[in-house]
Amino acid sequence: MPLSEYIIMRELNHPDINQFAVYRRVGGWETYAAALREQTPAALVQQVKDSGLRGRGGAGFPTGVKWGFLPKGVYPRYLLCNCDESEPGTFNNHQIIDRNPHQVIEGVALSAYAIECHTAYIYMRGEFASAALLLEQAIAEAYAAGFLGKNILGTGYDLDIYIHRGAGAYICGEETALMESLEGKLGQPRLKPPFPAVEGLYGKPTIINNVETLANVPRIIEKGVAWYRSHGTEKSPGTKCFSISGHVNRPGNYELPFGVPLRELIESPEYAGGMRGGRPVKIIIPGGASAPWLTAKHLDTPLDYEGVAAAGSMLGSGAVIVLDDSVKAPHVAYKMDEFFKHESCGKCTPCREGTHWLVKVLHRMAEEGHGEANDIPTLHSIYRQMEGNCFCLLGESAVMPIKSALELFPEEFEAIVKG
Amino acid sequence: MLLQTHQAEIETIIGRYPSKRSAVLPLLYLAQDTYGYLSPEAIREVAEILELPPTQVFEVVGFYTLFYDRPVGTWVIQVCDDVPCCYVGAEELIAALKATLGISEEQTTADGMFTLQRVKCLASCDRAPVVQANLDYIYDVHAERAEELLNNLRARAAEAKQRGVSGRFAEDYLLGPQGIVHIPRDAPYQQERGERK
Ligand SMILES: Cc1cc2nc3c(=O)[nH]c(=O)nc-3n(C[C@H](O)[C@H](O)[C@H](O)COP(=O)(O)O)c2cc1C
Ligand code: SF4
Ligand code: FES
Repeated sequence: MPLSEYIIMRELNHPDINQFAVYRRVGGWETYAAALREQTPAALVQQVKDSGLRGRGGAGFPTGVKWGFLPKGVYPRYLLCNCDESEPGTFNNHQIIDRNPHQVIEGVALSAYAIECHTAYIYMRGEFASAALLLEQAIAEAYAAGFLGKNILGTGYDLDIYIHRGAGAYICGEETALMESLEGKLGQPRLKPPFPAVEGLYGKPTIINNVETLANVPRIIEKGVAWYRSHGTEKSPGTKCFSISGHVNRPGNYELPFGVPLRELIESPEYAGGMRGGRPVKIIIPGGASAPWLTAKHLDTPLDYEGVAAAGSMLGSGAVIVLDDSVKAPHVAYKMDEFFKHESCGKCTPCREGTHWLVKVLHRMAEEGHGEANDIPTLHSIYRQMEGNCFCLLGESAVMPIKSALELFPEEFEAIVKG
Repeated sequence: MLLQTHQAEIETIIGRYPSKRSAVLPLLYLAQDTYGYLSPEAIREVAEILELPPTQVFEVVGFYTLFYDRPVGTWVIQVCDDVPCCYVGAEELIAALKATLGISEEQTTADGMFTLQRVKCLASCDRAPVVQANLDYIYDVHAERAEELLNNLRARAAEAKQRGVSGRFAEDYLLGPQGIVHIPRDAPYQQERGERK
């Protein structure tokens, strides 16, 4: 059943919500204004904690808990909104911005107030030039209405929000690489710890959250923790904008409560509408390119963090790629690892070299159809040398496609070797 | 010189950050929009404005894919060849573009109009195959639409020339009171596609 009231994709309830006046008419910015007047930052952090809101950027980390890691009394603090959105299969952040931009800005502003920060940056992938412009306009309207700037609504609270555009590099979505990039350096990850909440942007305590995560915050504060928790499951409360793509009839973003079965998302005529030409499902990548693959036998998996983990994968960013039996597993592994090779920042050897060799072998096998006797042991050996040895999660993620392909479809590799 | 032509804008940009160095990406964009690509002189100019050693700025230019350190076509056509695009028509589109333009990836047509590139996921996998022409998204570009796409882009370039705007991205931007304003050409999202009720 589609939701009757959307938390994020509210243009489905209010078609013109992208206009500032309409957003205001449906109560937009009122939650923020009331919070500034009536609530302490600590009370807001507590509500976000109680709501059980989990980060939508991939790890599903509880947002309120993260905010609680900020060291007491250390200022300035920064808030970073992560809109780098570059992992194959993920495409909801910029659509949320296109259709409901003011809620994103209100979410950033309300969260900034909650963590007692006065400067927030929204880091957008460089390709999102027109979405950046939409947000610039939304920010300008918020300044003009007195919701941003100095001494906001006479409360003494100051806040500036700026857009910062990246310039084409997936790794800049990784939180510490993003900070390096924003500081004007190469976007290469930093060693953790220290974690950003303690030592982040410009060495100051920093909170970084995904666009979708922050867009939830105004609704949680407005409608209350109990209302929010009435959606989704106990451990994965709320809704998720699932991005579904590949060989389905109606690819797109669908906001559904956590826990909805994978089958319903793929097959329901309300959502992805089944497979093109009625062909069978072969590979399901449930959480962006970094997620281990699932197959048709996992169609009853509930789409929440726990359910997908129990099936042996991860919900990640909620980007579901569904491929039919027209694809060959070695070729999908090749394309996926080509992505990781292309995006490897080159800082550490296991990832830089490992992705290079994986792609070299896979290219020969999958593109040229030419196998050698040792290919399968070689592929196993390459990813095993990467596993657990990469400096950041990009390199670890590059292991998933090849490992999944070899595990689930070994006969397709053997066939290439046999020639 | 950028500092003469865009002084107010540069000061606004630098003012957003506690450290000048943070302005390197926005200023490189400004230089690229103004000059068409990032020549060594342009890169040194940005370094000078930000009081950075030029090598640091050269390094940054090399790290990111949206910066061009050599001349490129009026239109850089970037076709996403990632999963899932490559399984729903992107390879056929690339083949059609190559055949029509008579160039391969990373090459520029003799008339300087088009540079063709393969790129990784453009975050619009639901509208595959996806193309970004300079900074404009163009969706659902199946191979049959290749000709139409190229004709459309040629017409826009001609129109820009008539208006007397120059620079690689200039045909997509106008200078407004708030700074550079983008003119969206293909709607970022078409509501009728979101057939959800
Ligand atoms: C290689 C890599 C790329 C990432 N890209 C993104 C991204 O584009 N957007 C995002 O929100 N998080 C991304 N993340 C996760 C971030 O590091 C971080 O966990 C997240 O922004 C935190 O926000 P959340 O708590 O709201 O999920 C990426 C992580 C890695 C390792
Ligand atoms: S794992 Fe890859 S992306 Fe991460 S630091 Fe190492 S080389 Fe860079
Ligand atoms: S794979 Fe082409 S836009 Fe995502």
